[in-house]
Amino acid sequence: MTAAPMIDVRGVVYDYPTARALHGVSFTVEAGAVLAMVGPNGAGKTTLLRCMAALDNATEGEITVAGLDTRSDPRGVHAAIGYLPDFFGLYEELSVRQALTYAARSRGMSLADTPGAVDEAAGRVQLTDRLEMRAGELSRGLKQRLAIAQTIVHRPRVLLLDEPAAGLDPEARRSLSDLILRLAGEGMTIVVSSHILAELEDYSTRMLMIRDGAVAGGGVVAAGSGARDGLRVSVAFTDPPEDLAERLAAIGVTLERHDGDEVLLLAPEGEDDAALLARLVGAGLKVRAFQPARRTLEDAYLAEVAR
Amino acid sequence: MNPEFQRNLWLEAAPRRIAWAGVVLLLIYGAAVALTRNNPYGALPALGGVGAVVFVACAMLWGARASGNSILAEIADRTWDFQRLSALKPWAMTWGKLLGGSSLAWICALTGLLMMIIAGAASRVEGLATTAIFMLALAVLLQAISLGAALIGVRKARAEGRTARASGVLGGLIIGAILLSWVAGSAGFQRGMGTEGFGALFSANGLVDWGGRLWPAAGFRAVALSLFAAWAVVGAWRLMRLELQMQNAPVVWPAFLIFLAIFAGGFMLRTQGLTAGLAVGSLVVALSAYAAAFAEPADRVRIRQFVQFAGKGDLARAAPLTPAPLAPLLIATLLVLAAFATSSGSLIAPELGQAGALIAFLLRDLGVIALFRLGERPQRGDFSAVVALGLLYGVGGVVGWTVGRETGGAMFAPLAHAPLISLVSGLVQAAVVWTLAAKRLGLSAPPSAPASVPAT
Repeated sequence: MTAAPMIDVRGVVYDYPTARALHGVSFTVEAGAVLAMVGPNGAGKTTLLRCMAALDNATEGEITVAGLDTRSDPRGVHAAIGYLPDFFGLYEELSVRQALTYAARSRGMSLADTPGAVDEAAGRVQLTDRLEMRAGELSRGLKQRLAIAQTIVHRPRVLLLDEPAAGLDPEARRSLSDLILRLAGEGMTIVVSSHILAELEDYSTRMLMIRDGAVAGGGVVAAGSGARDGLRVSVAFTDPPEDLAERLAAIGVTLERHDGDEVLLLAPEGEDDAALLARLVGAGLKVRAFQPARRTLEDAYLAEVAR
Repeated sequence: MNPEFQRNLWLEAAPRRIAWAGVVLLLIYGAAVALTRNNPYGALPALGGVGAVVFVACAMLWGARASGNSILAEIADRTWDFQRLSALKPWAMTWGKLLGGSSLAWICALTGLLMMIIAGAASRVEGLATTAIFMLALAVLLQAISLGAALIGVRKARAEGRTARASGVLGGLIIGAILLSWVAGSAGFQRGMGTEGFGALFSANGLVDWGGRLWPAAGFRAVALSLFAAWAVVGAWRLMRLELQMQNAPVVWPAFLIFLAIFAGGFMLRTQGLTAGLAVGSLVVALSAYAAAFAEPADRVRIRQFVQFAGKGDLARAAPLTPAPLAPLLIATLLVLAAFATSSGSLIAPELGQAGALIAFLLRDLGVIALFRLGERPQRGDFSAVVALGLLYGVGGVVGWTVGRETGGAMFAPLAHAPLISLVSGLVQAAVVWTLAAKRLGLSAPPSAPASVPAT
């Protein structure tokens, strides 16, 4: 029996008064995944995230997050998630401690647990030494950190981030990547929306492409440095046979991409690269070059575009 | 403590702000004492008067503005979605904003009320407690209306794709209240409607004739205003529920309309009888339909969904989407029918044709409002609808009168002279306008074009 997905989106349609923004979007996200939601500006990513956050109601379709229906139990969904919109605001007159205390208390955390949660959230985003500063006095990067701390202070099971790295300098982006990796490591399910693939590369395990309000390509696919779907190897063969794909399939290897003399192969998860090389040679294939490769988000994106 | 109330206290009633407010109040009261130092009755009466002014200025003006701003500032600072995502119950959010947002205003206002009570008690002023209750209720009423107006403004702005503001909603409410008070307070209207006692309510002098008996006006006014204040708070809470993505069953709004009908009809009961009370009640409820039509967000998708679910008989999903003007339209119609049912032997026998014409024109006007507000560019829908109604009643009326005197005029307004012409004309116009509105709503064909998604 497979576990229920943490996020289940089924046939979601969203209409603005004069146009349809989402056209029957369906996908699932497993618990613990870091999903990169990619697509051009205006594709419908923000609308979809707002529906998933139970901030807007889909015109048709159903969304469950952490087992809760966004339409029938929106407040339950709100308590279970953290959502950082692309244009966020802060209470600039409050201190960092007051802002985090309010975030924790307003998200249902008890009075007794709040101080600990505030310190923990501040520590996660390296704001411990600025707890008594006014939010308005923080730099752009530090404000971003505070905004993220506010969204995770109540320890949500699902985190939805809309263009979280927009406007951040490289160092702040690095910190953000590290934080997302740490949160994912703790089991949080994370959805990050962006139209810049490079910023998602470091922490994504899955990718979903949205284009013109619909899921493009093959739905949720493995991608990014965090992907764990098998061993990828770039291989060049001398005189590759006509039936290369079939011969590879016979030894349990998938031909992902053919690019001139070079091919990108995908072997099952847990495969050892030396053993794979031995199997290729054993299958009578003349291996000229053999280089383990990482499937970048861009690879996945281009592969999905080409479908 | 309610986290929303606490956050507002942090922002509004910070020690430094309280200290500054204290200094300003001391200067005001000190000036009052200094200016009346030669008064033979002492400074206390002047302090009482100044206290009343301070209360009005702080609780009713500043406090009302602060309550509305407790929502609008969140929109401007882009923190409203963060609040909507909280786990706070709508009621906690409502009173946290209502009291917290105006906390400093209340602190200042209560010093004024205290001065007023001390001065009044020293002078043995009668009905001091009643006056204090009236003033407190009026302050709560204004603040709750301001909060509700801001929430209505936010919902309207979201549906219309523009920046939220409450000024339009508040402006509409103020103009509506002025017009209503002007009509209801005029001697001619009161004589015609048999509600002479209504004037006592405004002045709080003498007796108020309500519900078949006479009541002391001051006490009646305090109780009535307290009830309206309670309804305003309930209204703000229901609007807050909607903002927090919860659904409202159509129960509280119809209940308020029935309360309104009973309140208005009660002024007629002793002198004019039940039939007149029902007729007046229906008129007030019908007027509420206009307010509801303008307060409702111009959300075509929501109306399409309502029509779709209602068409399928899925009442559970249709009910929370019910357009707000529907309840007053139905209740006003029921009250008119009830007035006819009770009219035998009554001093006032309502004319069936004219009553039907009134409902027909109400139906037409709601169609006109829907037609202009639910277009592809709803940002100017409110203004366009007001202009269209003005043209229909004003220019149409003048043209009709020029062509055929009362008979021609009856085609553009529900007139008593030719009620059947008014009824038929109203129904024909309503049918035309609603056909156009349904076409504009796209009830038969939902949009399918890819959208460039607006930022929210």
